[in-house]
Amino acid sequence: MRPTDAHEVSQLNELKIDVSALTFDAYYVLAGDMIMCEQMPIYGGYAGGLEETTIVDVATTLNSFVMAQATWHLDGPTHVRWGITTARETLAIAAHACMAVESHYDLMMGNQYYTMAGPCTVMCLLETAAQAITDTCSGREVLSGVAASKGVTTNYTTGMEARFMGECAHAVAGMSTDAVNVLLDKLIAMYEKNYKTAPKGKPYQECYDTSTLRPTPEYIGVYDEAVQIMTELGLDYWTKKNKFLVD
Amino acid sequence: MTLTKTLSIGDIYDRAKSGPKTDEKDWDFKIIPQTASMLKKKYNIKMDKKQIIPTDPQLMDGLFRAGFELLLTCGVYCIDTKRVIQYTEEEILASLAAAPKEAQFGEIGKHGRLIKCRKHDDKRAPIIQGGPTGAPCSEEHFLAIHQSYAQEPIVDTIVDGVLQTTRGHDPLPLTPWEIAAVRSEAIMVRAAQDRAGRCGMGL
Repeated sequence: MRPTDAHEVSQLNELKIDVSALTFDAYYVLAGDMIMCEQMPIYGGYAGGLEETTIVDVATTLNSFVMAQATWHLDGPTHVRWGITTARETLAIAAHACMAVESHYDLMMGNQYYTMAGPCTVMCLLETAAQAITDTCSGREVLSGVAASKGVTTNYTTGMEARFMGECAHAVAGMSTDAVNVLLDKLIAMYEKNYKTAPKGKPYQECYDTSTLRPTPEYIGVYDEAVQIMTELGLDYWTKKNKFLVD
Repeated sequence: MTLTKTLSIGDIYDRAKSGPKTDEKDWDFKIIPQTASMLKKKYNIKMDKKQIIPTDPQLMDGLFRAGFELLLTCGVYCIDTKRVIQYTEEEILASLAAAPKEAQFGEIGKHGRLIKCRKHDDKRAPIIQGGPTGAPCSEEHFLAIHQSYAQEPIVDTIVDGVLQTTRGHDPLPLTPWEIAAVRSEAIMVRAAQDRAGRCGMGL
């Protein structure tokens, strides 16, 4: 690891720490390393409801810079029932916490991605889009993902999800908050009723040609379908990109 | 007037050894939820989950003050010493004022990135950190999965996954196999970046 790589320290739920984390944080501080301090508050957990969890999120964000001397904080509000970061409530918590901090301080903050659906599904990409738009338009500095299928199934993660996360972020940077909120309300409504029947998707080795490391035609088709939905919701990023390619 | 210095990690550890003794269950089930609930009422905080990104400056200010006060009044619980690490208001303010506003991510050059504070309406996109984000990966596909991220031009840095096994062994925490797995992860992510032509990229 170089000093300019992110060295991770994890806080514990909620507002807790252990001595071993302090010990290796001491090394990072003394070595002058970039420190990323993580905490994922649980909506419906110890803190309670929407507002209480957001208050805890603000506190743990500030604590990263006080306790761990972090370079940046990595958030990840997680829904206690679904185990994902892309639920309406957890997106609202992340956005409100980030905007609350931004209203008083310039601090560097990221958010991490845990979707319900797996790779090679439109639902996974729409969940990813909702969080990328939320994070970009609430002022976050780093988007970190994607752990598809809740990050618990072996090899259910590929570069295509990150491509979509990045493209959606670039598509909405600078967009007005009012327009973003309208877009997000429609987008989240497209997947939030499907958690119980979310498609599992496919592992990496079925999403990519493992010799050429290129996504399969099937995944490219799924990706294009998600792009079409985002375009119909009003984002012209891909239209402009494709026009440039044709011109 | 002397400015309050930021806390050192040694100061934090000393407080973890000397702070008020507290039962962990009280912390989890009483202190944190009751204080958060009290602060919600004190600052009259009401969120509308149909409005994902807030636009009301009073709401944002109230949430910040409530979060700040939660950290100030409760502190942080150390699970090993069963004690609370407490801060003064001046110490929190000094630490926040000292927090970095930008940093180099990866090497200076073509594939490293400068991470800088941005605002919600900033036209600059955030840093795109692609990767499994701690999701489990098999030894067989670990390198290729990370290369699939590193080869995406829109990805700026990599966040790695977790090796499910290392040389067939379960990398249980606090065992030699855990160290072997973590070291292998770092080596393979760097190899994935290099194979994708992204030498110097952050990890």
